[in-house]
Amino acid sequence: MPMRIGTTTFNDRIEKGINDEFMRDSVRSAQERLLGKRLDAAEELGSWEDWRNLGEEIRSHTLEYLDYYLYELSEKVKENGGHVYFAKTAEEANHYIQKVVKRKNGKKIIKSKSMVTEEISMNEALESIGCDVIESDLGEYILQVDDHDPPSHIVVPALHKNKSQIRDVFKEKLGYLNTDKPEELTLFAREKLRKEFLSADIGITGCNFAVAESGTITLVTNEGNARLATTLPKTQITVMGMERIVPTWEELDVMISLLSRSAVGQKLTTYVTALSGPKSPLEGDGPEEFHLVIVDNGRSNIIGTEFQEALHCIRCAACINVCPVYRHVGGHGYGSIYPGPIGAVISPLLGGYEEYGELPFASTLCAACTDACPVKIPLHELLNKHRKNIIEGRGLSAEKIAMRGFQYGTTLPILYQVGTKLAPFLSLPFQTNSFLTKGPGPLKAWTTIRDMPAPNNERFRDWFKKRQKEESFE
Amino acid sequence: MNVSLFVTCLGDIFYPNVGKSVVEVLESLGCEVDFPFSQTCCGQPAFNSGYREEAKEAARNMIRAFENSSYVVGPSGSCVAMFSEYEELFHNEPEMQHKARSLKERSYEFTQFLVDVLGVNNVGASLNATATYHKSCHMTRLLGVKDAPEALLSEVEGLNYRKLPNCENCCGFGGTFSVKMVAISKEMVDEKIKDIESTDADILIGADSGCLMNISGRMNRLQKPVKVMHIAEVLTQREEK
Amino acid sequence: MSEQIYNRESFLTSLAQNLGRSTPKTVERPTWKHQPQWQILKNASQDELVTVFKKQCETIHTDVIETESDQLADVIHERVKSYNGKSISAWKDERFHQYDIFSKTDATIHKWDPRMKDNVAQTESADIGITFCDLALAESGTIVLFSNENQGRSVSLLPTTYIALVPKSLIVPRMSQATRKIHLLMKEGEFPATCVNFISGPSNSADIEMNLVVGMHGPIRTTYVVISNL
Repeated sequence: MPMRIGTTTFNDRIEKGINDEFMRDSVRSAQERLLGKRLDAAEELGSWEDWRNLGEEIRSHTLEYLDYYLYELSEKVKENGGHVYFAKTAEEANHYIQKVVKRKNGKKIIKSKSMVTEEISMNEALESIGCDVIESDLGEYILQVDDHDPPSHIVVPALHKNKSQIRDVFKEKLGYLNTDKPEELTLFAREKLRKEFLSADIGITGCNFAVAESGTITLVTNEGNARLATTLPKTQITVMGMERIVPTWEELDVMISLLSRSAVGQKLTTYVTALSGPKSPLEGDGPEEFHLVIVDNGRSNIIGTEFQEALHCIRCAACINVCPVYRHVGGHGYGSIYPGPIGAVISPLLGGYEEYGELPFASTLCAACTDACPVKIPLHELLNKHRKNIIEGRGLSAEKIAMRGFQYGTTLPILYQVGTKLAPFLSLPFQTNSFLTKGPGPLKAWTTIRDMPAPNNERFRDWFKKRQKEESFE
Repeated sequence: MNVSLFVTCLGDIFYPNVGKSVVEVLESLGCEVDFPFSQTCCGQPAFNSGYREEAKEAARNMIRAFENSSYVVGPSGSCVAMFSEYEELFHNEPEMQHKARSLKERSYEFTQFLVDVLGVNNVGASLNATATYHKSCHMTRLLGVKDAPEALLSEVEGLNYRKLPNCENCCGFGGTFSVKMVAISKEMVDEKIKDIESTDADILIGADSGCLMNISGRMNRLQKPVKVMHIAEVLTQREEK
Repeated sequence: MSEQIYNRESFLTSLAQNLGRSTPKTVERPTWKHQPQWQILKNASQDELVTVFKKQCETIHTDVIETESDQLADVIHERVKSYNGKSISAWKDERFHQYDIFSKTDATIHKWDPRMKDNVAQTESADIGITFCDLALAESGTIVLFSNENQGRSVSLLPTTYIALVPKSLIVPRMSQATRKIHLLMKEGEFPATCVNFISGPSNSADIEMNLVVGMHGPIRTTYVVISNL
């Protein structure tokens, strides 16, 4: 699946989302639950602000010296007996992965959840050389079985589906015969996937954080699928976004603590697995061969720019879980595998304004995301910076002309005065009682759903001036 | 104490009564209130739509308008928070940047000024009604004014105050968002109205005219009976028991 | 195929360019201004840590039994019986022998043995996996396992039921102490394991309508046996 999902326009996607009652109910209840859990977890931890500050400090430092730490990481992975491939583009990454798979004569590939492999369309690349690629995260598996339905959330990918839809998918595609109870559906998937794990040639994982000092990659799951994918197949390929790295194990602790709490409200997820290269020759399980693919795919263009902080993201989805826009339109509305506030920031960075230029405007800049972010990414500010870049890159538009009018109006007090003085008269034709119910331009958009107060005949400044005069006569 | 009123453009044009109420409350607490007439808009609509140059010129005007004020007080957390953006807007004009910082340091949102600067929670207001309060996002998150409005409302005699569920949710205004993303904005404001109705309040109180214009505009369209008031208007009420 | 690093130079050079400098030879890791992690359970006694550990296990759907080493055989016998376990896969660990841990159970025991080829298959078909742990974290109810030739990764993963033996003295406040220990070992050039697992209870998933289902890919049931005199 590429980063771009769906082919419809932004407005069509929004409309579809808003009209999808089930999806909205499930997103709402998920947001409520996750918000509650996250706040409880933060409170339990105590000094949450100190934790966030520490998280921010660590991420800033690491990104500031990213080249150094990536060098160290690659040296250590090599020392541990693994291979490292630095991929500038999605194509380079896929090409290398295909090469490894072909050389190992790999047919069946088991995957644990990874956003970056979605971003580079790795599954398609492997399918194109005849491989069977199986997603093992339950949510991802459901979507894959359902003819590759795109994910709508970065932590809970099948959030938009309900259990009877899932039962129907399993029934139709896999011959499932039981009820829509989550326990039964889960058990069915466990049994199906266990067989796949045992017979897979290659395991492919993402990477939550790599540890530079030891050449370690860590995987965080509740299901245990990342453990299986790195225990049973003989070859392991790990694909990481180049920014997903910490200097030492001490920082790993902090980032994992923040991630577990912010993503799912747990103190630690059930499994945190830290792998340093292939198994030793004497060990009876674990991969014999280990490949780390470090992916740039547009990230380095963000380094050194006003958007560098976007790379601090640890993919916890806390911002998505508080976002009111996400709540109403759902993940698919964003048209990217990265939805929500962080998606609206990074999708345009990785995929360009042409494709994702609407996203930064789909926000009230309410800053709930910024408040929720465990590493203090100023998300609403970054959205606003995108707006600036988009506007400054555009030619003259009706809005730009209006804003120029705004500029003259606000900088020349006399113009502002005349303009605002005229407002009540200009709006008279649209007035019912003291509200406007229709009007031209932005007023038209405003009044499609709400009324607008009519401008007052006496502005505040007129009143104040009159009052001053009266006072001076007294 | 001399206070310059920053009335905001919405306050000036649509809600003059809010400004009048601010003047009344401040004067009753012994402040001398002046109104620099050259003030216009803070520039936020341009700034949040990506028009930095246009916002900058608005900022320049506002910095000039309030240059000689010792305190600047405005009945909108969002507009006052906009002053904090001025410094960055003038990142390559050190002198203006310095002035921008000075303006930021002298500026307060109305309730913040009452509680934090004047040290007043009780202004002697009384109002016999059931009311709830909408926390505006910019005021709470960007300006960091979290408790002042409720502190003031808790001292209003006769007021039956009900906490608004999901009060951290945005009402869907977001300046130009409300006209650019009408469909999403509608869902957000409808959700807010549902929460407001669940409190059975007669009055919705807010501290930001933008949010109030959005919520009241939608409630008016839906013919909801809830009355909308700015907190400054509430604080001037003197109802007999 | 010998280990290789591909495309590193060009990749890192362009990164350094964007950062506006050349790649430094050394980077001093700063002393972080905020360090709240060390405040958690700061002066807690070992008994207090056990209490916190046990309490957290309620949240993570894990049974805890506290016992002494001379009772281990009975405890294991009881537990295996209550799980209706017929077969056990266990690490190759001197302590199983030392404390006669399997002396009372009727289940068949597969001991992980690096010389045998069918460790994984045997473990896959076992009802219960049993291991000691290398550290435990009170705050999160976590056990830490280091893999090596005697300590297979599969034992704590493939069987539907998992029992971890937790010597009380190995419980530390939280992950910070464990990762610091690993960090210090690393600095001395001693790497603890090719695979370190932090495990907090049975596997689970909430991917269907956010309903928590205990038991996904890994064990469905978990018991920790805290050994108070070790």
